[in-house]
Amino acid sequence: MPRIVREAEAVWEGTVSRGSGTVRAATSGAFELPTTLASRIGDPEGKTSPEELLAAAHASCFVTSLGSELARAGTPPERLEVTCRITMDEVGDLGHRIVSSAIAARGTVPDCDQAGFAQAANAADAGCTFSALIKASATVTIDARLGGADGD
Amino acid sequence: MATERTAEVTWKGSLMEGSGSIDRVGSEAFGPLDITWASRAEPESSGRTSPEELIAAAHASCFSMSLSHGLAQAGAPPSQLQTSATVTFVPGTGITKIALRVRGDVPGLDDAGFCEAAETAKENCPVSKALASVPEITLDASLA
Repeated sequence: MPRIVREAEAVWEGTVSRGSGTVRAATSGAFELPTTLASRIGDPEGKTSPEELLAAAHASCFVTSLGSELARAGTPPERLEVTCRITMDEVGDLGHRIVSSAIAARGTVPDCDQAGFAQAANAADAGCTFSALIKASATVTIDARLGGADGD
Repeated sequence: MATERTAEVTWKGSLMEGSGSIDRVGSEAFGPLDITWASRAEPESSGRTSPEELIAAAHASCFSMSLSHGLAQAGAPPSQLQTSATVTFVPGTGITKIALRVRGDVPGLDDAGFCEAAETAKENCPVSKALASVPEITLDASLA
């Protein structure tokens, strides 16, 4: 079984409240982005954050699991749209914790009904690497419906 | 106060032959970024990101902020922290390991103090907590 390695790099200068950093996709070179604490917990002001990167990771992991489950059920998708919303909150004395990841999936899937789509979405949640991991601290919810968000 | 962050992904076609895109994120800091199964599950990324690389980016940036906070609280704010996170993914099994490596430029702090602060950040940063079920998370910390 191949071992796939992916690396990212973060550089931070100064204190957490007044300093700033960058985060770079070291393996693919697909992005290099600024980040600050203020934009992480307040208005993002065009800057990404660890939580937004996790939202992108979960959405992109879930979408491949869902496509795979639909194909296995004999109804491969034409098009899938997945949105992920990650919430971080202060939890008692524990400080900040990632408390939820809400997935919304919309699909254009020939010959698949709503029940079949919902069933594939539940199986995708069970099979998605990221869903399994993040349940260590967060609740994962899945809202799956047929029909594209943009009506196609 | 709760903070929410969002991302939107589209996929077209089958897993093996199809392809997708991280269309946009709430901050609009990046996107669209192409994704494919091949660039995720084969050793070569072909310039495309993947869920595992995004997890590495989230972990490296979260750990860095947490460590910066811990060092400042201990009276030794860093000049610079340089962190890498390497995620190992085995298709069919999942993420088996995350290796954190940090080099710090921290005036007035010795190596032992830096390593202790780094260990605390590794244990307590929100992304470490969220990924606590990864079988192995390692840390290599030293002053630059």
